[in-house]
Amino acid sequence: MTSTKRTMTLNLTDAEMNVLEELSRQKDLSKTAVLRQALRLYQLVDARLSAGGKLYIEDPGKKEKAELMVL
Amino acid sequence: MNRKPRAYLKDRTGEVIEARLLEEMTVEAVAQANASWRSLVEEHRKRLIAQGAPRAEWPQHHHWDWEKKAERYGGLLSYRFVGVEHAGTVQGMMMVNLDAERCRVPQQRGKPLVYVEYLASAPWNSPLFMAEPLFTGVGTMLVFAAIQLSLEQGYGGRIGLHSLPQAETFYQCCGMTELGIDADYYDLCYFEMTAKQAELFLS
Repeated sequence: MTSTKRTMTLNLTDAEMNVLEELSRQKDLSKTAVLRQALRLYQLVDARLSAGGKLYIEDPGKKEKAELMVL
Repeated sequence: MNRKPRAYLKDRTGEVIEARLLEEMTVEAVAQANASWRSLVEEHRKRLIAQGAPRAEWPQHHHWDWEKKAERYGGLLSYRFVGVEHAGTVQGMMMVNLDAERCRVPQQRGKPLVYVEYLASAPWNSPLFMAEPLFTGVGTMLVFAAIQLSLEQGYGGRIGLHSLPQAETFYQCCGMTELGIDADYYDLCYFEMTAKQAELFLS
């Protein structure tokens, strides 16, 4: 299961790098894996929104849904 | 840990044969495989109706339409279609989601896993359709592929799935942890494989 991979350089601010490192630690994933996951999810959300879908976040306690805006 | 999947099946005589793992099937490839399976599934369904077989005895996945699944999810990076091919024919298929679920087993709760959405052998390889399946080991090879994908994603081999009742024994035999009926998901039993269990499975 090895697709051809290409390398790129990524420039992040300190704040962005801190978030990436924190997510990497929390999820027990490499920084590359976190970014790849983020890309997959962004594509998925974008595809659903482009098809007319809406994205909601539900408060489990109140069962209230708030629409999430994604640009 | 990065091992090659064992690319083999067994035929009716028990002889081991080479098979190929199709790591990323295109929408067209899934549709083609679906078409090659569909006539047998339909024939079987008609036979069951003619025999008056109760619905409980029907293969529980007989209605799966792989082509529609591929049209809907193909092209999205979160989803992968994986197949096992022998002699130019797809012997089994699986659709996985790399991002949908998180682990539920306490020792790995909240960690990412590869979620197996659908997994099926071709009807001629399934004891639910054929008294004597043509090839065995297809499901095992697909589980192997799911673990391999999980390792590649940095998920440590962790996989999870909801099983149809007719497949529960198979996943038990794979060494997965059975977490019981999930009332939030069609009352299907949820199974999860830990990193340790994945290591054992691969060995």
